[in-house]
Amino acid sequence: MEQTCEEIDEMFSNLLGEMDLLTQSLGIENDPPMNAFNTDKEMNFSFGFKDLNESLNALEENDFDALIADLVANCEDDEPKVSSQSSSHTPLFPNADTLNNYYPNCDYLAAGSMDDLSSLPPPPPQSAWEMDLPPPPPDPEEPKPQEEEESKAKADKIKLALGKMKEAKVKKLIVKVHMTDSSTKTLMVDERQTVREILDNLFEKTHCDSTVEWCLYEENPELQIERFFEDHENIVEILSDWTRDSENKIYFVKKSEKYAVFKNPQNFYMARKGSADMKDMNEKNKVSLLEQSFCGASVVVPDLEGAFYLKEDGKKSWKKRYFLLRASGIYYVPKGKTKTSRDLACFIQFDNVNVYYGMQYKVKYKAPTDHCFVLKHPQIQKESQYIKYLCCDDPWVLHQWVTGIRIAKYGKTLYDNYKTALHKAGLASHWSPLGNVSAPGTTGKAQGNGQVPQNVTNVSSSFSDAWKLGEAAKGTQLNEISKSHVIKQPTPTLAKKPPPAPIRSSSAAPVPPLPTKAKADGNFPPPPPPQYFPPQDSQVDEDFLPPPPSDFFDIPPDFLPPPPPDSMSGYAPPPPDSMYGYAPPPPQIAAPTIGSTAAPPPPPPPPPPPSASTPPQLPVKKLPPNPPRRKDSTTSRSRELSANGNAGGQPDFMSDLMKALQKKRENTS
Amino acid sequence: MAGIQTASGEYIDSSWELKVHVEDLGEDADPITLRVTGEQHIGGVMLQLVEKIGIAKDWSDHGLWWKQKRQWLLRTNWALDKYGILADALLYFMPQHKPVILSLPNQRSIRIRVCFSSTTFGACAEVCKILGIRHPEELSFLKAPEEREKKKKKDKDSVTQEIFDLTSIQPTVAREGQTQFGGVPPHFIGSPEGQECYRALSVCQIGLTPEDIQKRYKATSVTDKTAVHARWLDSSKSLMQQGVQEGDRLWLQFKYYTFHDLDPKMDVVRINLLFEQARWAVLLEETECTEEEMMMFAALQYHVNKLSATSDPMLLPQDPALQDLDEALSHLEVKLEASTPSEALEGIELEPELQEYLKVFRPRKMTLKGYKQNWVMLKGTNVSCYKNKEEARGEPLILLALKGCEVIPEVNIASQKFCIKLLVPSPEGMNEVYLRCENEQQYARWMAGCRLAAKGRNMGDSSYDGEVQNILSFLTLQKSNAQTSTSAAESINMLALVSPRYQKKLKLKQLSPRILEAYQNIAQITLMEAKLRLIQDWQSLPDFGLSYFLVRFKGARRDEILGIASNRLIRIDLNVGDVVKTWMYSNMKQWNVNWDIRQVSIEFTENINVAFTCVSASCKVVHEYIGGYIFMSTRARDGGTKGLNEDLFHKLTGGHEAL
Repeated sequence: MEQTCEEIDEMFSNLLGEMDLLTQSLGIENDPPMNAFNTDKEMNFSFGFKDLNESLNALEENDFDALIADLVANCEDDEPKVSSQSSSHTPLFPNADTLNNYYPNCDYLAAGSMDDLSSLPPPPPQSAWEMDLPPPPPDPEEPKPQEEEESKAKADKIKLALGKMKEAKVKKLIVKVHMTDSSTKTLMVDERQTVREILDNLFEKTHCDSTVEWCLYEENPELQIERFFEDHENIVEILSDWTRDSENKIYFVKKSEKYAVFKNPQNFYMARKGSADMKDMNEKNKVSLLEQSFCGASVVVPDLEGAFYLKEDGKKSWKKRYFLLRASGIYYVPKGKTKTSRDLACFIQFDNVNVYYGMQYKVKYKAPTDHCFVLKHPQIQKESQYIKYLCCDDPWVLHQWVTGIRIAKYGKTLYDNYKTALHKAGLASHWSPLGNVSAPGTTGKAQGNGQVPQNVTNVSSSFSDAWKLGEAAKGTQLNEISKSHVIKQPTPTLAKKPPPAPIRSSSAAPVPPLPTKAKADGNFPPPPPPQYFPPQDSQVDEDFLPPPPSDFFDIPPDFLPPPPPDSMSGYAPPPPDSMYGYAPPPPQIAAPTIGSTAAPPPPPPPPPPPSASTPPQLPVKKLPPNPPRRKDSTTSRSRELSANGNAGGQPDFMSDLMKALQKKRENTS
Repeated sequence: MAGIQTASGEYIDSSWELKVHVEDLGEDADPITLRVTGEQHIGGVMLQLVEKIGIAKDWSDHGLWWKQKRQWLLRTNWALDKYGILADALLYFMPQHKPVILSLPNQRSIRIRVCFSSTTFGACAEVCKILGIRHPEELSFLKAPEEREKKKKKDKDSVTQEIFDLTSIQPTVAREGQTQFGGVPPHFIGSPEGQECYRALSVCQIGLTPEDIQKRYKATSVTDKTAVHARWLDSSKSLMQQGVQEGDRLWLQFKYYTFHDLDPKMDVVRINLLFEQARWAVLLEETECTEEEMMMFAALQYHVNKLSATSDPMLLPQDPALQDLDEALSHLEVKLEASTPSEALEGIELEPELQEYLKVFRPRKMTLKGYKQNWVMLKGTNVSCYKNKEEARGEPLILLALKGCEVIPEVNIASQKFCIKLLVPSPEGMNEVYLRCENEQQYARWMAGCRLAAKGRNMGDSSYDGEVQNILSFLTLQKSNAQTSTSAAESINMLALVSPRYQKKLKLKQLSPRILEAYQNIAQITLMEAKLRLIQDWQSLPDFGLSYFLVRFKGARRDEILGIASNRLIRIDLNVGDVVKTWMYSNMKQWNVNWDIRQVSIEFTENINVAFTCVSASCKVVHEYIGGYIFMSTRARDGGTKGLNEDLFHKLTGGHEAL
């Protein structure tokens, strides 16, 4: 135990040191600690960079701030989901030794403590690093006189703490996304995020027009293949298939191909059938065609067939074959056979492969044309006989086929993605003017009652309008449905904006509920202790809430929450300490923070401490949450010295916590 | 009352004699003569008739059938004059409901009372109500094929097919719509016979033999597929009008291939019948599919058969509350599992693992094939191989992360070969590794473990034991099949899961592994899911839902094929078999039938006009199909709340009779 604790502490200090280096824009020198932390399950590494140092160094200060803010935001955003996430994330890596640089546990820190500070005024990054002691650790909870409240609070805390611990295991990655203007953005993504969420994130960052054409686009320079990620895909999963030294890049670009099939379905569904009405189809018919194709019991795959060139396994030559697309896979007509179903030979099925565009294959593989597509298992990153290369005569056919394969592979999900994207596009265009202005509380509510989508008339793409009209007939259900898809997403965005507010709300009850908080509450059981949150809040929560983790109650009351906070408390000056006894730490993060630090006044909600409230929080969405890290590292260090760590590897957290907290209690009492 | 006479016996009220044959008195009985006037209405005639017969019984279902005009006299308030009935009219007094034998898509036959006087559409709806099938508009009656009649008789001698008698069952219409008891219509629950019938309707047919399929199978060309459509009864006429006799055999089939709102709870019978129709369509190659697809269908059938053998539909639905409770409990369990602290702290408990000596083989270029004995360990989702047990702590010779890999069984029971082929993706391509097990037990353990690992789960997963059992049972199945085909009577004959073409093409020992391979993807789904899945897969076949007609397009010199689907018409060249043209209903402005020259003409947008005569069936059938599909497409819009809009159906499909 002590050992592991030390490890963690070491990590903290390493991180700190690294940060310092960075901010001073020094050279590379130290490798980030690579090997020490095997005990931890999560690993972080960055994509789009050769190694971690590079990745961190590559960050400009702004970027860095943003990244860190992201970290915080992520932590916050994700909270409501935590409880629903049961998964254990064992990263899959073929060889443990090829392993990636660990990004020393910073998420863990982030999860544990950054939140606490998220509400703090963002100190200029550098200074932050230098700063010695962060403002006294947030320990917002005032000792409550009432016993029950206490125990309740404790239970909640425990729950939250568990959530955090789970989150601590969540794999997170730093991703560099290339923009169209050849700039880059760096994002922190965690394994629960879908591509859709990343896109939303990027919309917000870039203030682009948010139309449905935007996509994350993967480029594999080695194979010269590209594809867009589907909105429902899990980005961390995708990235885990890349090799460590991958040259692959992710672009944030507009690709009309992505959802072309939903704008002009007739081009895909009726192109081959010699139909006269293919060129211009009225919107009504498009909608009905889409419905027929995507809303039935099974999705209709476009009826495509044609002669392609196939690059034979491991050979250089391209051989012509006649291929047909079916829902169950791609088939070809064997020599001397007809194309009746029973004679067809299966070329490939889609379960284990993705479809990519092959670029400049005329040069690379002497393909007959440059209109090629590739089917391969996502994990294959180098040339291999297991990759299938196909070449068509013209780009339009290529486009039809790639789309057809996507439909066969993803089915209705694709259509759902599109609807969500449309909804987003509408939402974004509607909100963009309001963007920063809108009060978080209200936005949260607007979301809640489903008005938003309807108000949005200025949708960017014309078809989306049409679609909506068409859909309007179907009643609000659809909206609701698409909303439900969306729900998670709007919140994160909001979450970032109102950093200061949450503080107040927590400390001074009257303040309107903040979305951030709402999210944070996620972990609380349905009846959240009223003291902490205004009622509306709780409602909001429920919307976001996964099943209330009532199970948490099983934990014995005296059982105490996770370490990070307690480390803080250990370090922190007495007042917080005393509070500690009553209210276990980490969870507070969510809501009350500064108040406590500044003013330990008992029961009554502490007035927002001047320090916190006064500094006009940067209107920026994200707060540079530097302090948290710092604090953590420092605290951890201190812990190392003083309080012999109870913290162990994750498995031992609970007992650690218990001990730590008991200690605290004893102190206080 | 008619029949005022003078003293000399002459009628002075212009009344006349009407002869009515009463079916209930027997065929040879003399007709009963009534004295009527032209103004007398039908109701009065029947009343008079019943009095005259003098037998006390329930005559309420009886009606008058006018034989020459092939017409029912159902409007009791119409006068005889209004119907135009004169003294020479041949009238029959008979029940409107008569029993017929109905062949269902699941190859079962039921004897059931059908209405002979209402339209076929109405009669079908009535039958469906008794059977507990929602959306009867999707089904209709066909005449039983005639040429087959001879064959069938032979068959019947050997296989005396059980006929379930539903004639005594009266649908409890009172509580209409509210089918309680978990979807089982209440009239099935009362008696054991009723329950037996319900089972026949809702459980799929088990124990098919390859011969059953071969008997019904014949290689079909598109032209052959047009024949069936000549047999559809006309929905807007009554059965009596179409010459159906009491006790005749009719088929009940899904006619329109748009299945509205399939609900696993409400549609137990409907889904089962649909499943059967789909499976037979595949087995008889009425809907063509590829070999891979056939294996998938076989796997699904295997799964359905297996589950059906052990489940009783009467048990499940009878305790819906309990069922819900169970569900709730298992949900809770999942939740608890997911969020208990132990989960959060997972890693404390030991992960289950397998480690044994297995023979391992990695095919490489330029090496001779050879298995080497290795100490192999499966832990979590990783397989590691060591030279021997002692080195298991050191560096493994091979380390494979199985998540996302393909696990392919390579089993030959006769030669006692139990191999697991692993195709593990890596950045460089696929790593191929074979694990060879000694016996079934070992194989089943490892196979199950590898499959779970491929899905990213470890052997601690709750499905592990079930998976092991599944694999073992599949192996024993192959074994019994391999040894004697007779002893497999109880188990499932693999050959009976594929069409005769593949029965011939693939030997049993080739077939079984392929079905097994497809099966492993679906082994965990429930019975109902499996049925629905098969229906879905059927629906996604390119040829699904096409009804073919041999037609002659206006101005064309030879016959062509018209395919009618739920959303489009296609024109197919008979020689080449290619789709020449597609027309969507959504572009259709109107269609007309010229009943005299039996020509259907359709007008589409942009001044496209199509006209054809139908060769293989009456043009009424084509007309009904087109109108019917348009009717079906209106259902989605009214959300099914309005119930069945029969008038609209007849308006769309009736043709001149409807006017």
